Amino acid sequence: MRPTQSGALGVLSGWITRLRDSPVPFLLPALAINVAIILIPGLLTIAMAFFEWDGASTPGFVGLDNFRTIFADPVFFSALFNNIKWTAIFLTIPIAMGLGAGSLLLVAKRGRTFFQVVYFLPVIIATVVVARVWQGMIYNPESGIVGWLKLYGINLADPLTHPPTALYAVASVDLWHWWGFLAVIFFAAFRQVDAAQIEAAVIDGASFFQLLRYVLIPAIRPTITLMMIMTIIWSFLAFDFVYVLTQGGPAYASEVLSTLSYRYAFYNYTMGPAAAVALVISFFGLIATFFYVRIQQREGNQ
Amino acid sequence: MNNLGLTVRVSVLTAAATLSTIARADGPITLWYQRGGNPDQQRIMQKDLVEPFNAAHPTTPLTLDVLAGGSGDKKIRMAVISGKGPDIVMTPGPSTTLALVQSDHLLPLDDYIKKYNLDKRILTPVLRTGEYHGHNYALPRTFETMVLYYNKTLFDKNGWAPPKTMTELNTIAEALVTKGIIPFSVGNGDWRAANEWHVSVILNHYAGPENIYKALKGEMPWTDPVFAQAIDVLKDWYQKGWFGKNYFSLTGDQQALLLAKGEAGMAPNGTFSFDNMVAAFKQTGQELGVASFPSLREGVPYPLYSIGTGSTMSINKNSANPDAAAAFLDYLYSDDFYDRISKDWPGDWNLPLTSIDEAKLTKNVSPIFAKTFTAFSNAVAQGNYGYTTWTFWPPATEDYLIHGIEQVWLGQISTADYLKKMQEIFAKELADGKVPPPAPR
Repeated sequence: MRPTQSGALGVLSGWITRLRDSPVPFLLPALAINVAIILIPGLLTIAMAFFEWDGASTPGFVGLDNFRTIFADPVFFSALFNNIKWTAIFLTIPIAMGLGAGSLLLVAKRGRTFFQVVYFLPVIIATVVVARVWQGMIYNPESGIVGWLKLYGINLADPLTHPPTALYAVASVDLWHWWGFLAVIFFAAFRQVDAAQIEAAVIDGASFFQLLRYVLIPAIRPTITLMMIMTIIWSFLAFDFVYVLTQGGPAYASEVLSTLSYRYAFYNYTMGPAAAVALVISFFGLIATFFYVRIQQREGNQ
Repeated sequence: MNNLGLTVRVSVLTAAATLSTIARADGPITLWYQRGGNPDQQRIMQKDLVEPFNAAHPTTPLTLDVLAGGSGDKKIRMAVISGKGPDIVMTPGPSTTLALVQSDHLLPLDDYIKKYNLDKRILTPVLRTGEYHGHNYALPRTFETMVLYYNKTLFDKNGWAPPKTMTELNTIAEALVTKGIIPFSVGNGDWRAANEWHVSVILNHYAGPENIYKALKGEMPWTDPVFAQAIDVLKDWYQKGWFGKNYFSLTGDQQALLLAKGEAGMAPNGTFSFDNMVAAFKQTGQELGVASFPSLREGVPYPLYSIGTGSTMSINKNSANPDAAAAFLDYLYSDDFYDRISKDWPGDWNLPLTSIDEAKLTKNVSPIFAKTFTAFSNAVAQGNYGYTTWTFWPPATEDYLIHGIEQVWLGQISTADYLKKMQEIFAKELADGKVPPPAPR
């Protein structure tokens, strides 16, 4: 039976009411954006990992050939290892520096705002500017501090140009750019710690390091965990400083997975292996996300 | 159907056809300049390229967009592949053009070449680098080569002439090392692909263009002893310090300044660095010299210039107005435009025209620039040319050539390993039809 006009209006009005009361309208804008710029390109990247495509012709299905190609490329493994080294560096040094500086900011009452600004300043400078300043004004043997020291008989080499030091030289620049962010985040977390707990520890005669070890760090553990998990994800996405400073060189010494993927895609015009490397990057991100969600669930249950 | 109805319909169809012809003939055409440009260079392009063309073609004016260098070529490629993009398609060289031709995004230019006599106006071997399966799809724009820049003041003081053979080069380089002067002022600090300039030089001037031609045609492997010997020579130069200690740090400006100060004696570099070199020598007051790179093995001709096409010009298959785009190409390859641009911006718009002559060029540019380009053009016209890697090598092989040579220099892999992998990558690209056509011999 066809609905009467008033019946149809009633159905429509029911729909509108249901829609108004449901969370869907609130989700839709973000959902649409995520589907358009994350889900669809993400699915296309997954599909591309199984196709051969030069970016211009018709793609052809090749099964697992792209994975065979990247696993046969020794540069893939050195890049993966560089990502692991990068992760290890960023899980330790800037987090330790951030915790140290954050706790000192908590203790120091005077100049606190000034130091926060100083620590945070490198974070807001554009990546390319930071990279070019370090490359041209610090590391360069002609125009940088390294070159200037030569005038005083101190012969240093540009660390970006030697395979054993290149990755660490790039990481140092990123580290300088990054650690202030962690310091400010940890400081903000420390300020949420119950003042009574801190006072009690101080009255009980706890030293600064004991205060840090037994009160402050345990109190902000969720923040530290979140930052560590994000660090793992970000470390596997590291691209900008490597690309600007060394483009993965010399002799692939500072190549990381994202620069390798970029090279496959935009220099070799082989989109398949580029997508396969991108999937490997995502795999590590996925593992980190899995642990993050589990920790969140456990804390939620508690 | 009555006669009146038929007449009306025919009239409407005729009017529509006329309108469509007018629509195809009129309207602006677009060019995206792919290599970036500072404000001065953008003004020069407006003054020398856009304004004269638009004055002569008011109904089909050219709109020029300057894209950022480094990523401009990728933007153009993406736009063209998606069926849009500019009417005139500028690419960074034949290997990019080849991909667009194979995916059917460019228009064959044969009729326009005939109409505007472009085959008489552009040097044949360079023009033919745009040919695929008997049709021409791309005109060469930036005509460049590798040369040997040297500090003439330093050379004159020591009574040296620019070397023509390996023995002469060795003598001068060793004398420079003894004096504490770097033989070659080179580096890849701001352009990592500069590695391939040196591979290009060694392959052309040691292995020779005949062998390169055979290898590019797949008739000889890259693992052949003559290429291995060539790479060994390059490795030896690096390892005995001829490239100095700061190869991976030095930028183009710094290299030019070291040469101009006499802290380095020579610099194998491209004609695209002419501006840099002239500016540096102006700063120090010393004199710049330019010569063809020496022949490094008996049987390899001297002088020899390798052909480099730093960019090409094509017409988009989806252009609404290909005739107007072709008329623009007619203006671009004219003596009128060349005279204007070589005065204002020598180097980048160095078109491979048959009409280039030293006397005419000297009116607009420095005598040394005029002499170099005339020698280069004459050598190409006489068939005395080689092949630059960035023009004739397919993309993945070129990429490996650039990065792998660093491993050879730093002793991480052997010459044999390097060439073996290059051959593997090349063989696949050759089978996939990705090798651009080499200039004929």
